[in-house]
Amino acid sequence: MARIHVVFESGEPARTIEFDPREAPFQHDGQPASVLDVLLGHGVSLQHACGGSCACTTCHVIVTQGAQFLSTAEENEEDMLDRAPGLTPTSRLGCQAVIRDPDAEIHVRVPRHTVNLISGHGS
Amino acid sequence: MAVEHSARLEGVVEYGPATRALILRLATPLAFLPGQFISCLLPVGDVVLTRPYSIASDPDSPDRLEVVIDLVPNGPGSAHLFSLVPGDTIRYTGPWGTFTLEDAPRTEAVFIADGTGIAPIRPMIHRALATAVRPVTLLYGHQGGTPLLFADELTVLRPNYTPVVVPSAALLDETKHRYVTADAERERHFYVCGVGPIVYALRDLLRGAGYARHAVRYEKW
Repeated sequence: MARIHVVFESGEPARTIEFDPREAPFQHDGQPASVLDVLLGHGVSLQHACGGSCACTTCHVIVTQGAQFLSTAEENEEDMLDRAPGLTPTSRLGCQAVIRDPDAEIHVRVPRHTVNLISGHGS
Repeated sequence: MAVEHSARLEGVVEYGPATRALILRLATPLAFLPGQFISCLLPVGDVVLTRPYSIASDPDSPDRLEVVIDLVPNGPGSAHLFSLVPGDTIRYTGPWGTFTLEDAPRTEAVFIADGTGIAPIRPMIHRALATAVRPVTLLYGHQGGTPLLFADELTVLRPNYTPVVVPSAALLDETKHRYVTADAERERHFYVCGVGPIVYALRDLLRGAGYARHAVRYEKW
């Protein structure tokens, strides 16, 4: 089984999810077997204002371990990430980062703020 | 998670059997930038679908939004929205999105919209014309048999503004002709919106021709 460990800067309790990527999709938003798909499909909330279609940055996650298990970011994801607050070298969009290895071990951190350009601090 | 708001469907503008605009009266005014979208929470069956809709109206009407929707074949979200009648309530979060224009760029600005991709472009053009010091152009791809949205307003030549309507199938070639092969100028800024692979094709054409990555902004539906 693959595993995702997720921690939240907002202080919500950390979660660890075990899953088989071959059973994706786990729900209806984002790429099948993406970080967003796995989290939502296992009862873990992650903002995804555009419905998981790579049209915003609200599902921004920072990968702290296991980046090699994730699909390579394409240009549209990179363009979106360019405008994400708190961007790091290991930032990804949860809706686009796909896990295919059934033995993957991935750790991600969910930043406190997502982007809302009017207020500067969306939620 | 994001704060949810509610809006009342105040009116519907039919643009054809598969395209309409919804006029939304918001319970609380919404501050947003031209180009942003709201994220509608649509109860469909046992689930709540999250669907983004670009705001086609201007920020100076913060309690009355206009969004454009296409009826997507087998699309439960758009089918739900098409079933709504004036007086119904819609829940949403937002505004969201980074495909925005606060002020016109210091260079020539070129907006490229394909079909209903004109929705976020409309308020962006309004803002650009209010602040522009260089020419503003709209390349507007028209799909045969479909309505040309906001034609009365956006396809009229004005000082500093040149609208060009071309068949959608010719949008890529027209862009190449005007902005790649016609001259060596590479300082323009582009804002592209549409449905499907044409958006990436335009992006790749322009960046591949030497325009800076940050100067080619786009939103693909």
